[in-house]
Amino acid sequence: MPVVDVDPDELRTLASTERSDEELKRDLFDLGLEFEGETEEGDMQLEFAPDRLDRLSVEGVARSLRYQDGTDRGVYVPKTNDAEWVIEVDETVPDERPYVTGAIVRGLDMSEAKLDSLIQLQEKLHATMGRQRAKGAIGVHDLTMLKGNAAREGAGKAISYRGIAPEEDTFVALDSTEELTPAGVLTDHPTGEKYADIVEGYDRYPAIYDDIGLFSFPPVINGRRTEVDDESRDLFIEMTGTDQWTIDKMCTIVCYALDARGGRVEEVRVEYPEGHPAEQRDLLRPDLTVDHKTVAHARIEQLLGVDLDEQQVVDYLERAGLDAEVVERDGAPAYRVEVPPYRVDVLNPVDVVDDVGRAHGFNELSPRYPDVSTVGGRHETSRLESAARDALVGLGFEDMLDFHMTSERDCLDRMGLDVPDERDPDAPVGQQPPVTIAEPYSEDYTVVRTWALPSLLTVLENNTHRAYPQDLAEIGLAAHVDEREETKAAERRTVAAVLARTDAGYEDAKARLQTLAGAFGKTLETPATTHPSFIEGRTAAVELDGERVGVVGEVHPRVLVEHDLELPVAAFEFDLAALE
Amino acid sequence: MQLPAAQVAVLEAASATDDRTVDAVADEVGETPTVVTRAAFELRDDGLLDVTERTEETVSLTEEGETYREAGLPEVRLYRAAMDAGAADEPVEMGELIGAAGLGGPEVQIALSNFARKGYGVIDSGAVSADPDADPDADTEANALESIAASDAGTVDDETLDALDRRSLVVREESTVRSVLLTDAGVDAMMEGVSVAETVAQVTPELLTSGEWEDVEFTEYNVEADAEAVTPARKHVLRQTADRVKDVLVGMGFQEMEGPHVDSEFWINDTLFMPQDHPARTHWDQFVLSNPAEMDADDMPSELVDRVARAHREGVGEDGDGYHSPWTEDVARGLDLRGHTTSLSMRYLSGHAEGELEPPQRWFSVEKVYRNDTLDATHLLEFFQIEGWVMAEDLSVRDLMGTFTEFYEQFGITGIEFKPHYNPYTEPSFELFGRHPVTDELIEIGNSGIFRPEVLEPLGVDCEVMAWGLALERLAMLVTGAEDIRDLHGTLADLEFLRNAEVIY
Repeated sequence: MPVVDVDPDELRTLASTERSDEELKRDLFDLGLEFEGETEEGDMQLEFAPDRLDRLSVEGVARSLRYQDGTDRGVYVPKTNDAEWVIEVDETVPDERPYVTGAIVRGLDMSEAKLDSLIQLQEKLHATMGRQRAKGAIGVHDLTMLKGNAAREGAGKAISYRGIAPEEDTFVALDSTEELTPAGVLTDHPTGEKYADIVEGYDRYPAIYDDIGLFSFPPVINGRRTEVDDESRDLFIEMTGTDQWTIDKMCTIVCYALDARGGRVEEVRVEYPEGHPAEQRDLLRPDLTVDHKTVAHARIEQLLGVDLDEQQVVDYLERAGLDAEVVERDGAPAYRVEVPPYRVDVLNPVDVVDDVGRAHGFNELSPRYPDVSTVGGRHETSRLESAARDALVGLGFEDMLDFHMTSERDCLDRMGLDVPDERDPDAPVGQQPPVTIAEPYSEDYTVVRTWALPSLLTVLENNTHRAYPQDLAEIGLAAHVDEREETKAAERRTVAAVLARTDAGYEDAKARLQTLAGAFGKTLETPATTHPSFIEGRTAAVELDGERVGVVGEVHPRVLVEHDLELPVAAFEFDLAALE
Repeated sequence: MQLPAAQVAVLEAASATDDRTVDAVADEVGETPTVVTRAAFELRDDGLLDVTERTEETVSLTEEGETYREAGLPEVRLYRAAMDAGAADEPVEMGELIGAAGLGGPEVQIALSNFARKGYGVIDSGAVSADPDADPDADTEANALESIAASDAGTVDDETLDALDRRSLVVREESTVRSVLLTDAGVDAMMEGVSVAETVAQVTPELLTSGEWEDVEFTEYNVEADAEAVTPARKHVLRQTADRVKDVLVGMGFQEMEGPHVDSEFWINDTLFMPQDHPARTHWDQFVLSNPAEMDADDMPSELVDRVARAHREGVGEDGDGYHSPWTEDVARGLDLRGHTTSLSMRYLSGHAEGELEPPQRWFSVEKVYRNDTLDATHLLEFFQIEGWVMAEDLSVRDLMGTFTEFYEQFGITGIEFKPHYNPYTEPSFELFGRHPVTDELIEIGNSGIFRPEVLEPLGVDCEVMAWGLALERLAMLVTGAEDIRDLHGTLADLEFLRNAEVIY
């Protein structure tokens, strides 16, 4: 979940409040911002769910607090000045990253604190909506350093977004003094190395030019020439990405934050080349269009389970920073709700209902048990598993519960089994191609177990210092790759048991297996077989009502020694379904 | 008075006037000291015998001490050799005497350091002069070695014993010696006559069938003594907790779901309206499989896939918006180990598991899920998720609250708080907090909400469904007080912990 660092003094100023830190923490918690701790500089670290990305800076948190306090009500949209600047998108722009947006904010009295807040907002937006810059990346520049002569008569000042060959041009990147090509930045600049994989495979690299030349290499790094510092007053903000809506919303959130700092937002015209969808070719940005959702009064009452009057609902919506007008929809009262452009989380009218609930206070609602009756019951497989487990415990087995994930080494190699590529119905129990994890957490957990006996032997191995006998059993999942299944994996519940004691023998295992089978009305037969994990001549197939479903025998000394065991182990394993 | 045989024997052997040691009594009655001690204590408890204890020191020779007892102390041997060589008159070179005295290795140094101390003579610049008046036969240390060997250490004075102890020639050990003496009551009992009770140790079939049991007395056991440890065969403590949860839910009208652990991203994520570029959908959070890697296109529920894709791209309803994220069926076909059992809820709600479901419905599962998380005291790579949902025509947030309040109360967790939260698949959503039954701390106990229209509409559900999830291990840790989740679950399990775990019911 995102965490935002907030200076409590700045927050108080921006929210026009004189609350103590403790009061702030409590009220922020009610907003869904949880106090996680303090930074070295004494900032509050606030964690929140990743829906309200407009709260990724102190300005956004303050805005939420102002609405909560009732200091502000309803939708607010910053006034914008007309566009003077144009971003011209060149035909050469990389296909992988065709979109750009922008805005200008003037008259900022930048200070170190404001700059820090802007940088934080930029980073947090990169990490969330921007998907680590892959989907959207922000560049902020000092406008006075840009030189953009009008490309043609009557047009505004222009910069251009284009694609260039990796070694085509050079510039001095931030935190550097060296003239480097974009390709050089990727290999020789620390920030370049970090984001190199985003542009991997690009034929042409994204580049932004003004009249002087190349000044930004998005999404990797800006040039040093246009660097913003605490003296900067006018900013040029550009964003590039793989989706127009996403970068427009990121841009909107940044503009709202700078507006709260006293900046004047000025529009920027974005001109796409021919071939771009007609209605998207000429855009005025930032996009501060207010969205509308219509929600029925009855729907709000039904979801919240309370009766509300219309004025109350409108009041709640305004306190949530929305505006609402009461309208009639299908002959019943409804609300046409205005949603400000920084709200990226309102996809559906149900999200408006949630805002009403939050403004009302969910913990004000009294719980009630739903007045509908249903008949409960266990799944048949679950009942069978429970019954078999009870029977095993009755036979003196300690019930085990092991991980389903294991390694080929534990599950197959150490049991003397091969790792097969293909499913083979005649292979020894357990010797099937395992379900395999693509990027495992550790080499101990790389596959799903093909049988459960190895799990029990591992428990024995880890407990040689504990009292014997150790008669253990487990019923649980085992699986292997099977192309015939919908999910390409054959899953089953398997019943495995071991008797580890100084005098354990084949008969002890068979005796218990026989009793178990009998308890479920099954006839057990044990024709001789061979299995690499068991001693030859002391191994049998488990046949229940004539069907071959498992194996029983004395575990091979090779396997015992491999598990550091110094006493005999008799064991069996078979499919739970055979007891049905 | 009738007493067990061993007690009668001890009473008879004990004296009313002189303390007798247990060893002596044991010798006389032909029993082991252990049996006699036990009988003595039982008689003491009945007031018939006094038992006194004293600590006795026993002294024995070490191996070195024994060697010197036989061969003589090194300094004495040196003196005798020196006298023989005429050192009483003229100093004799040390080198000449070593062989004659039979001194080897460390003995030379031992002889030298004690020779002068005991006044056998003087050693100067490697030459030995002997005092002709010294008497090696009166050497107290040499004589003490003989006495100790003869179990007569009592005659040796403390100073000499200490000296021998310092020279590591003796070992001193303390032992407890118990002695018995008849009490007045014991004497009275003896006067009145004490006989051996006819007691039977074991109830036998013969004893029962013959009717002899009516005439015998059964040997009394020490019923308070420790019994042999028995290893219990028992259900795993986490299974017990799962059973308890299932019982509660069945009692509340929930039916159990069942379904695949290996499942497609479609059922795990896409039906849940999780955007395909959501950070939680990377291999950092979920276990993506390399084999099998994906479902066949033909096995995908194509109509449902289309509806789900449309919900992602365009949203649902007149005013609905979709995500501005790419959506492809290829990603949806990818196979994973399920990260939650909500995939089962999706299969059931879609009608793919049990056929179309009409409201009202309540369903649950308590089954394994897999997360690519860090393995530590509170996190496992695989754990049990309690998943439950309720489908009904008119469900509200209050019904959700009422259901969970009821559920958690069964486990002693009350005062549930509902913190508004965000999930991609529910709205409103709540994190559930409750008071720890023991510590009274406020702790997170689950995540819940009402499924979004973007989830339900593609599934063909046109009423409300509320759902919640919770890790069983978390509940188990609350209920059992376990501090390390790995003790509860997995091959690292300690059998001792499981054998001693308290039963959950």
